[in-house]
Amino acid sequence: MPLVTTDALTKRYPGGVTALDGLTLELEPGIIGLVGANGAGKSTLLRILLGLLDATSGSATVLDHDVRTEGTTLRRYVGYMPEYDCLPPDVTATDFVGQMARLSGLPASGARERTAEVLRHVGLYEERYRPISGYSTGMKQRVKLAQALVHDPRLLLLDEPTNGLDPAGRDEMLALVRRTGTEFGIAVIVASHLLGEIERVCDHLVAIDAGALIRAAPLGEFTGHTGTLVVEVEEGSDRLAAALLTAGLRAVVDGRTVLVDLHDDGPWDVVRDSVADLGLPLVRIQQHRRGLEELFR
Amino acid sequence: MSASGNIYDLGYQGYDGPRLGRVAVTVGLLRATLAAAYGIGRGGRAKVVPFGLAAMALLPAVIVVGITALVSQAGAGDALAEASPIRHDSYLSVTSTLIMLFCAAQAPELFGKDQRYGVLPLYFSRILTRSDYALARLGGLALAVFLVSVVPQVVITFGAVLAANDPVTGFADEAADIPRYIASSAFAAALLTAVAAVIAAWTPRRAYATAGIIAVFIVPPIMVAIVSELAAGDAARFLLFTSVADILEGLNAAIFGTLAASPAVLAADFPEWVYLAATTVGIAGGVALVLRRYQGVSG
Repeated sequence: MPLVTTDALTKRYPGGVTALDGLTLELEPGIIGLVGANGAGKSTLLRILLGLLDATSGSATVLDHDVRTEGTTLRRYVGYMPEYDCLPPDVTATDFVGQMARLSGLPASGARERTAEVLRHVGLYEERYRPISGYSTGMKQRVKLAQALVHDPRLLLLDEPTNGLDPAGRDEMLALVRRTGTEFGIAVIVASHLLGEIERVCDHLVAIDAGALIRAAPLGEFTGHTGTLVVEVEEGSDRLAAALLTAGLRAVVDGRTVLVDLHDDGPWDVVRDSVADLGLPLVRIQQHRRGLEELFR
Repeated sequence: MSASGNIYDLGYQGYDGPRLGRVAVTVGLLRATLAAAYGIGRGGRAKVVPFGLAAMALLPAVIVVGITALVSQAGAGDALAEASPIRHDSYLSVTSTLIMLFCAAQAPELFGKDQRYGVLPLYFSRILTRSDYALARLGGLALAVFLVSVVPQVVITFGAVLAANDPVTGFADEAADIPRYIASSAFAAALLTAVAAVIAAWTPRRAYATAGIIAVFIVPPIMVAIVSELAAGDAARFLLFTSVADILEGLNAAIFGTLAASPAVLAADFPEWVYLAATTVGIAGGVALVLRRYQGVSG
């Protein structure tokens, strides 16, 4: 069963803006990154998949349910974390997430247990009994994720989950998203304009621009290894390149790094030995990967 | 966050328990709304205004019951009951201002807050439809307002039964008024809720909503009173329909079969069914406008 399908999905807003333009997709369960610049139509797509917004034309299914006619059924199994602030300030995280669990159809006792469980998972402890108004952005993002998870959905839709977070907060949120998809066994679609983040958590990628599909494929196909070895040294890159050329490798100096052609495993050892022989301060030896940014060039 | 790594290792448990349907969830939201209308589930300060207003609405009933108990021991209970200004048929005009203030204070909380803080997408991405949400909110506030209105009446009934020489006769005297005050309170609660909810749902800013509700409830009765003093004629009569308080006054008098306390209602002299019709139209119109608001609001 495909996770999500869309067929010529189009959304035009009354002002004449076309947010989605004939988007056709078929996604299998996994952790799927939905990338595109701001305004590419990511949020619009998520909101149509939830049945929060009606498409102008075309159709879509989520977990085999038509989003237009079976919204109530499919929303039972979907969790949604919106991009923007969506938390009332004067209730505690426990009360709020518990209420959201009830609204997803969990009975009182189940709602209490799931609330405690899910707040623990997102890493909210004593704070959960204090009003949300006193929370940091990072804590609020965790509450937003918790309310999306509380009813144990089969699909999680996350809209820019790292919005407003500092680097440490981003790392923690991305780790949580990754865990949700792997350990919890919940399919995740995470929309983001930050390619670097998507690259770290997703195994499948959907790139859209101006409401149209650019490419949908496993992450590896976007960022496959290239045949280049990057060797960074603090000094002496010229001497290293010369040594490598002497050893019969093709090497080019690029500032402090030396780019070495990699056709088999041989160059790894030659590079290591050359660096050691010359006594150079080595920073890294890494196989060069294609950047996602190349997609949007 | 140093301990988080350890605690994460407890592992994730799914949920295999029962899941309720749309109707049960809507009723659940209605109950949560009723509780929220009294500030239950929020801090102590959120309870001050709703419970304070409800207590003030109850106070005349408590006083009247206390006095009745004392006087009836002295053997003059019947005489007092005749003379008292606080009776079932007059209680709505005693408390209507307090009930309106209750609406003005609590409707913005229930209809504006979710819009103000962007919570609606979280509701609408669950089981409820937009209409389910609006109806649960309306029902919850109407029930809360109904309680403010009807509880004092019930207290008066209990007081009268207990103070009577023979409780059975005492209850028989009260019995006819019980369905009347229930009906009158229910209509008042429904109409006041519908009007307040329209304003609150279309005015997410809390202060504006409260001011707007107070203005819509308090200003027209004053206008009506002034105009009906100064000018007779159809224009003055039909102005009455701008005043929720006067419509409810007329309906209350019709239900109890008494003369209305408001001079404007007496002067307009509409047939009794007109007040029932005006109330019904007001409730239906208000509910329709609230439903429309939530169809359109982003979420």
